[in-house]
Amino acid sequence: MPREVEVSVNERAFIQQALQENVRLDGRAFDAFRPLELTFGDEYGVADVQLGKTRVIARISVDVTAPLPERKFDGIFQIVAEFSPMASPAFEVGRPTDAEVILSRILEKAIRRSNALDTESLCIIAGLKCFALRADVHIIDHDGGLIDASCIAVMAALQHFRRPDVVVEGEKATILSVREREPIPLSILHQPLCVTFSCYEDGERILIDANLAEEQVRQEEVIVTMNRHGEVCQVAKYGGATVEPLALLNCINMASQKVKEISKFIQTKLEEDAKKRDAGGLMAELSAENER
Amino acid sequence: MSVSATIILPGDEIPSSTLPQPTNKKKPLTLGPGLRHIPPDTIVTTVAGALATDTKKNAVWVEYNSGRYLPSAGDLVIATVNNSAAENFNCILTPNTPPATLPHLAFEGATRKTRPQLYPNSLVYARIFNAGKESSPELTCVDPSTGKSDGLGPLKGGTVFQISLGMARRLLAGRKGGVIVLEGLSEKVGFEVAIGRNGMLWVDGGNIKTTLVIGKAVQEVDEQALGEKGQKKVVERVLRGL
Amino acid sequence: MGPEVVLSHLHRADGSATYTHNGYCVIGSVNGPIEVLRKDEQPEEATVEVNVRPAAGVGSPKERHLETLLHNTLRSIILTRSIPRTLVQITLQIRSLPEEDSVLGVNTSLTLLPHLLNTSLLALLSASIPLSTILTSVLIAIPSSKNAIPLLSPTAKDLLRAKPLRSLHVFAFSGDRKLLLNESYGSFGYEEWDDACEMAEEVCCKEGGVELSEGMEVEGQQGNLEEWLRQVVKRKVEREQRWRTAD
Repeated sequence: MPREVEVSVNERAFIQQALQENVRLDGRAFDAFRPLELTFGDEYGVADVQLGKTRVIARISVDVTAPLPERKFDGIFQIVAEFSPMASPAFEVGRPTDAEVILSRILEKAIRRSNALDTESLCIIAGLKCFALRADVHIIDHDGGLIDASCIAVMAALQHFRRPDVVVEGEKATILSVREREPIPLSILHQPLCVTFSCYEDGERILIDANLAEEQVRQEEVIVTMNRHGEVCQVAKYGGATVEPLALLNCINMASQKVKEISKFIQTKLEEDAKKRDAGGLMAELSAENER
Repeated sequence: MSVSATIILPGDEIPSSTLPQPTNKKKPLTLGPGLRHIPPDTIVTTVAGALATDTKKNAVWVEYNSGRYLPSAGDLVIATVNNSAAENFNCILTPNTPPATLPHLAFEGATRKTRPQLYPNSLVYARIFNAGKESSPELTCVDPSTGKSDGLGPLKGGTVFQISLGMARRLLAGRKGGVIVLEGLSEKVGFEVAIGRNGMLWVDGGNIKTTLVIGKAVQEVDEQALGEKGQKKVVERVLRGL
Repeated sequence: MGPEVVLSHLHRADGSATYTHNGYCVIGSVNGPIEVLRKDEQPEEATVEVNVRPAAGVGSPKERHLETLLHNTLRSIILTRSIPRTLVQITLQIRSLPEEDSVLGVNTSLTLLPHLLNTSLLALLSASIPLSTILTSVLIAIPSSKNAIPLLSPTAKDLLRAKPLRSLHVFAFSGDRKLLLNESYGSFGYEEWDDACEMAEEVCCKEGGVELSEGMEVEGQQGNLEEWLRQVVKRKVEREQRWRTAD
């Protein structure tokens, strides 16, 4: 069975020694993210996130199905994050690794269970019909920080997505195509984002957004999910070492600030994209008027 | 050496007119990487790249700088020890490939009792003794004719940097490779390097800062394909920073 | 407009390519030659693995079908015997499809297939996997109206406009003008098929077989796929060797 290659003892010692001297190999500050890039596809609901060399694409798709019998008033929302050999030959199709399970679980906790999406708004006719929303997370390139990058991608894609409008007459629902009526944005209640902290030297040094080599050397990780209002949605800690409560509070403080920055970044990118689309939209409207 | 080199795709036949015309008729034609011979006298490419010839050596090969490192006898590599078996260490040259073997006794002056103890994930600078598609590659850290190490052996301290396969080739090619950044730096700072054809550069500058700037400088020259002038600028900047 | 290509842009994979054409965008990656699982090991040749991952949702029988077609075609051009007991792993991630793809009402695995084939070849070239020849592929659609001209490499919009379609054909040719793959769908006669095949050959292969010149010739508006491929490789070589001319 293929295994992820481990970092050599020389590199491990070098990274640790450098951290003791307060140096990160890529010259970043301890609390700095790698350069973040976000682009949207031509279609609605596709977000392409690049965090340093890590690259993740999230895609939202929608279908109409019957709601779950125990949740008649709710639509269905599902996040699927599956690794592919594209990001590393050690990832095998159909055999999830620990990292994959952790990623899925954190995204589930951070986004779905924190009610980032108002699933009630996805209901069309109670108990009969609802929208089933699906977020596919594709890991294209892997250099650490998958959780943070995936969360940004999913949240950006959700905010970018437009679902088709629907007309309900009694028990009959008609889905209007994009051509018939302008699709509508999802109702998003808040925007949770993850910040992963990697701890070294028993919590003496804490890094934000570790790359793959730094991830392999760390003792443990703490993943904090917050929204820009400063509300904590989820905290997870993996790894054997212990963390001081104060250090944890410190992490949360830092996360709060980072989440605000990233939220703002996503917002700007969304506005830029909207402007680009609107230019076309306005033109289309004008030409329609001329025809009449 | 010109850039308007002949571009070739897999399956292209090399016409005999482009083959090197040897001065010494007795020397057989050598086919390098990316070419295969279909008897009786057809030479076909197997990869995409630029055709390169050397009249003196009567050799022809395809120049390309992408893809995975393929072991070839005589190459210097930086291997990572995976585990130790009864008679040899199993070493990794590139991730997810079958391990190469490094006999316990293939070190300078090694005997059953004095052989080095190498733990998993330690680094070794070695030469590929033999490599073929039929068996896993075999490594050695001694020159079999002299019994000397010639600088090969376990790498202690320092760290490794990823470089492109082409860069590794250039660094090992000396003058022809056109890399002067290490020479330039060595005039002012002392450091040790080992270059592995498998795309690895090991640097030990004695301390974190020196090691880092040297590794980064080489990576910068590699990524931005800097010429001599550009490299000199990098050297100046680095030396000023130290 | 020829397909747009970005080569070797993923840093973990041994070879990669992003291919954008007619609203289809596919990211391809190749790892190899790498260690193969014991159960898949073949003593005399390399094992080829193809994964097609849809843009949304899990892989369906459609993806499995495409994987089989790709596997058989690619295995015939990879020199598997020169890298025995290894694995060549090809992953194709569909990034986006044209908006109209879902409403075409035709066999959508055929409209996708040529793009997947071209992407895999580019990724294989980027990974420098030994190949016996190159491969180029194209889609041809024959509308059902009488005397209609077959559509060469049509966009999804073209297909929608030309509906109803009588038949769809995908052809893939090797560098020496040999037919590597043909998948046809619909009803058609031998002559129609032959015309389509000839048309595809014209686009896929360069006139006059293989030669070592680099004159850029554009045939009609479509351009020639082999010529296009040579240009892509030329850019790759220039990029790799730019240090020779840099100051």
